[in-house]
Amino acid sequence: MPTVKINGIEVEVPAGTNMIEAAAKIGIEIPHYCYHPHLTVAGNCRMCLCDVEAGGRGPDIACNMQARDGLAIRTDTPRVKQMRKSVMEFLLKNHPLDCPICDQSGECRLQDYYMDYGQYESRLADPKVTKHKRQDIGDHLVLDAERCVACSRCVRFGDQITGTGELRLFNRTDHTEIGIFPGVRIDHDYQGNLADICPVGAITSKDFRFQKRVWYLTDTDSICTACATGCDIKVCHERNQVFRIKPRRNDAVNQSWMCDHGRMIWQDLTSLGRLLQARVEGQVGNTDAAMQTAVETLQGAEPGTVGVVLGTQASNEANWALWRLAKDALKGASVFWCQGNDPGAWDRVDDLLIDADKNPNTEGVRALTRHDASIGDGADLAHAVREGNLKTLLVLQDDVLGRLGDAADGVAVLYIGTHRNGTVDKAAVVLPAAHTVEQDATYTNRRGQVQRVRRAVHPAGDSRPAWQLLDRLGASLGKAPGASTAAIAFKKLSAQVPAFADMTYRALGTQGLPLVAPQPEAQTDQASQEHHEPAK
Amino acid sequence: MTLPVQRPRSFLERLFIPEILRGLYITLQHGLHNLFHQDQPTVEYPDMRRVMPDRYKGAHRLTTRPDGKVKCVACMCCAQVCPARCITIEAGEDADEPIEKYPVQFQIDMLRCIYCGYCVEACPKDAIRMDTGIYEINSFTRQDMIHDKAYMTDLMDGKKPLAEKFYRDQPDQAPAGFDGTQDRVVSVDDSRGL
Repeated sequence: MPTVKINGIEVEVPAGTNMIEAAAKIGIEIPHYCYHPHLTVAGNCRMCLCDVEAGGRGPDIACNMQARDGLAIRTDTPRVKQMRKSVMEFLLKNHPLDCPICDQSGECRLQDYYMDYGQYESRLADPKVTKHKRQDIGDHLVLDAERCVACSRCVRFGDQITGTGELRLFNRTDHTEIGIFPGVRIDHDYQGNLADICPVGAITSKDFRFQKRVWYLTDTDSICTACATGCDIKVCHERNQVFRIKPRRNDAVNQSWMCDHGRMIWQDLTSLGRLLQARVEGQVGNTDAAMQTAVETLQGAEPGTVGVVLGTQASNEANWALWRLAKDALKGASVFWCQGNDPGAWDRVDDLLIDADKNPNTEGVRALTRHDASIGDGADLAHAVREGNLKTLLVLQDDVLGRLGDAADGVAVLYIGTHRNGTVDKAAVVLPAAHTVEQDATYTNRRGQVQRVRRAVHPAGDSRPAWQLLDRLGASLGKAPGASTAAIAFKKLSAQVPAFADMTYRALGTQGLPLVAPQPEAQTDQASQEHHEPAK
Repeated sequence: MTLPVQRPRSFLERLFIPEILRGLYITLQHGLHNLFHQDQPTVEYPDMRRVMPDRYKGAHRLTTRPDGKVKCVACMCCAQVCPARCITIEAGEDADEPIEKYPVQFQIDMLRCIYCGYCVEACPKDAIRMDTGIYEINSFTRQDMIHDKAYMTDLMDGKKPLAEKFYRDQPDQAPAGFDGTQDRVVSVDDSRGL
């Protein structure tokens, strides 16, 4: 790996790394507009100009300087400062300065760099060049060409990521204007990313338009649970209310992107179908009474007629708690899991991020089934129900009755979930569960990456995290799984299921960890024998 | 620690009667003066009001553009700078205006306001001012103490302090100098530098 020198500090980086990334590695920020880690280098904003001490000719742009032995650059000379100041003067020459009504205000590179490298005194004698404002370019986007600094990030996104190429820079010099071809609208599922990558306020989101000034918002790292991809997101919220969701960089999962559907999952928090209170036989009531009814139903059931259904939409912790509940508190209960989407699920699919599987935790449940071979699949469940072997089903966030149809008539269903579906309407007892942005938990995405969600807002209504409800249910039945907090539940999960071995919340961090690959046959047997000992 | 101070009283003081008379004489002096002169430092509020200095920070008002719409663009600078956090603004989009953003709702909780004037200083649009000179900010309910956009826009024409409105409706009872067209009920000359 080549070693480069930045401001006299030596840093070793992989060959091909550019100087912006290399400098970031040692905590030196090189200002830039057009450079984006997941787009090609355009080199047209000139903001990252640096002095070259050795190994090249300078000044040169840091984004296009690749690491090679002997290269030494400086970002702290008076000349670099003067260059940044001059670039800023050009970029701001025709800027409308409508920060008070601009949604980017507060997270705008023009504002940030102006404070650091601004000219502060205008030398402009001529009137500013005016361009087209407030253009409707897509269902989720508003374009203001006057605010644009012509960095071409959005043009490259359309060309390289979605391949749709709607946006272009038209005209020359200071009449250069970002625009869209006549008669074209941006009509793909990744529009929100254009607003995200725009370093200024030229492209802003229609959904977030004028909703909140960004400096009021608190960001909580989480992941999107709209499909099995599990894009890393940050949930932006204030006073227990979510205002928007933005993608977070994770090169192993979603790079820097996410789809527009995932951006709006926070609307599910308060949607009409949200379960906010417990129900017994369709009657809304308090959670304690419903829990008591559930316990009586489970205790009153004949041995061998109780089944539990794991949920691919629920977290690893909740599925583990339900699995332990079936093994410890409900001795003899059979465990099932159903693969595939619930009836009526969102049906969009593409080869970029949107997965056909809309369940965020299919791989997490599959890891559990690989460990415990007695867990039956959807076909086993349908068979058992048809044969009449199951009289009581404890279901974790899975539309079981929607899948089974009339075959399940006469089965008492105890349901734990977030939203109303075909099962909720027929269930004997319904316990409201917290949404993903309302709880601490982990999910396992389609590539087996175990990632954390963190609580951003309080659970709505009476809802509580599913692992907590299951823990209380277990306690009432005589043996709790021991999930007093999500971290403890995950610790026990990682101790018992080898696929999660050695994982902790701290180790997962912000980017997550991949599942431990299945061990060779002999070792797996040994591991599964070990787990039968109580893991206390 | 208390130190006793020796103040020996004279014989006349110990009689008390002359001292009482001396006090009555001072009061009588003022009473007679006030009977024949009109230069009392006190103001007979609410029949009279003092002119507030131009920089006095009174009730807030929202300024308007020539077409009557509020100048405010809901940038939240005032709400951000407010140390009492008493300003609540809900922004909306104005589809017809080139100025795209406007406040759908603009509320100031006058029970929390500390009259620091930071909101006026922070405003980039001169949309909020405290130059009304109105210091009678009161009501019978807490809800009425939350001044909203309509109230603050109309504050300079029509919605005057209660006493002033009273005199507008009953001009015969109004104090001398009030003709109903003045911005403020003012009848006291402050030139004595009180």
